[in-house]
Amino acid sequence: MTSLLQLSQVRAGYGVGPDILDTVTLNIEEGRSYCIIGPNGAGKSTLLKVICGILAPRDGEVLFRGAPVGGMRPDELLRIGICYVPQERTVFPAMTVRENLMMGAYSITDRNMIQTRMQRVIEMFPILGERWAQLGGTLSGGEQQMVTLGRALMVNPTLMMIDEPSLGLAPQVADQIFATIQGLGDLGITVLLVEQNAHKGLRCADWGIVLDLGTNRFEGPATGILEDPRIRELYLGTTVAATKESDQ
Amino acid sequence: MTNFLQVLILGLILGGVYALMASGLTLLFGVMRVVNLAHAAFMILAAYIAFFAFDIYQVDPVVSIAITMPVMFALGVGVYLLLFRRIEGTERYVEMTVLMTFGLALTIEGLLTFFFTGIFRSTRPSYATQSFFFADLFLPKGQAIATGVSIALLAMLWAFLTFTKTGTAVRATMQNRTAAEIVGVNVRRISAISFGMGMALAGAAGSLLSYLFAFFPSRHWQWVAILLSLIVLGGMGSLKGAILGALTLAVASAFVTDRFGPSWSPITFYLALFLVLMFRPQGLFGKVVRI
Repeated sequence: MTSLLQLSQVRAGYGVGPDILDTVTLNIEEGRSYCIIGPNGAGKSTLLKVICGILAPRDGEVLFRGAPVGGMRPDELLRIGICYVPQERTVFPAMTVRENLMMGAYSITDRNMIQTRMQRVIEMFPILGERWAQLGGTLSGGEQQMVTLGRALMVNPTLMMIDEPSLGLAPQVADQIFATIQGLGDLGITVLLVEQNAHKGLRCADWGIVLDLGTNRFEGPATGILEDPRIRELYLGTTVAATKESDQ
Repeated sequence: MTNFLQVLILGLILGGVYALMASGLTLLFGVMRVVNLAHAAFMILAAYIAFFAFDIYQVDPVVSIAITMPVMFALGVGVYLLLFRRIEGTERYVEMTVLMTFGLALTIEGLLTFFFTGIFRSTRPSYATQSFFFADLFLPKGQAIATGVSIALLAMLWAFLTFTKTGTAVRATMQNRTAAEIVGVNVRRISAISFGMGMALAGAAGSLLSYLFAFFPSRHWQWVAILLSLIVLGGMGSLKGAILGALTLAVASAFVTDRFGPSWSPITFYLALFLVLMFRPQGLFGKVVRI
């Protein structure tokens, strides 16, 4: 496997606030799917925002296919294949499902390509075909999540980062979304998933990465990582306590 | 009945111009969350450009739109790059933009007063004092022309936002800035264009204002208060709302003027502002934002 994305010693934070990410070093390989887990406030979402360019890193290096991409704009990163589906709902409320998907293809000019990809999205989410002319703001939570995922697929990304796709969804709907995410690997997309529901998230990933206090603690194959004794410590807070002690 | 129709007509043809004035303000708020308190000051600045173009070169104020719009567009982009781009994404962004636009308004007013003094000005093309007559009704020619021009410009704005790629990106940014950013819209470029367009619309409005209303540098405070009441009624950031708000309040103020006299006319706007904030703070077409 070839390395797609490398982060070394990345630090990042918001405004004049403290570092949320503190020296994250990661290696993401092409074609593999990853699930990042960790307690609240570990910096999971911040990590995705840095990679997609919404937040510039304060320090450290981000390499995509060997080329430095840290600090580039989201639209520039999208053009080289890095796409991001944020946690909060981001459909365009006053645009129809069709217009929303068209916005996904904003950076594409080839009309045939847009048509083909739109067909693919409808095949993946048949319900969107039924909601074709409905406004984004009037869709249910699950349908909105499908629109955002479908919109992201319009650019045929190399790396797709998805933040908490199951948030606020009914369990059956969430399962459907997870099944779709699991299928993204077959389309040749490298997936980087952040999920609060560690069990479900890891089930649709090959590799698990554990993030805590702004740094990646450890990683391993997705199946079995939850049995790791360090996970229990982490979620029970012993790692936090240990870190604090060592700081003093 | 004739009187009712007459007042309605006078209100509507004024409303068209108000709609043009308010469109730039609401556009800027929609895209950038900037409440531009200097919007009317830019309008007055454009009115001065139209005034001197008329006074020195005999350029018709309606034709002067061809000068004021591009000049104000460039000025808007410049102001954005110089002042607003640096504070985007910072904490207290909204508060800072309010102070910044307030400062801009004072600066423009000060410069205009310094160079052109505070005396009343207005351009006087021949049609400013003529009227069309239909049976018992009359239509002031100048206002009719101004409303026609306003409708044409608003239609062009609508076509731009609906049918062009950049316009679609502007609408997307208005609806959800983060979403626009992640689908690959360069939101900074869109912000610069929107700032320029907002100012260009203020420029066109200023050209029309130059012959419809007498103006002097500090006159913009009254205008910006009226314009804010229009877009608050319509829902901040909604173009449709701004147009309907403008027509509604222009007609209302025409009836108030007819019934109680012109000195009560401004009260209409402030009363409407007060009532909207009490009973429907999101406006007619605004959405409820929870913080």
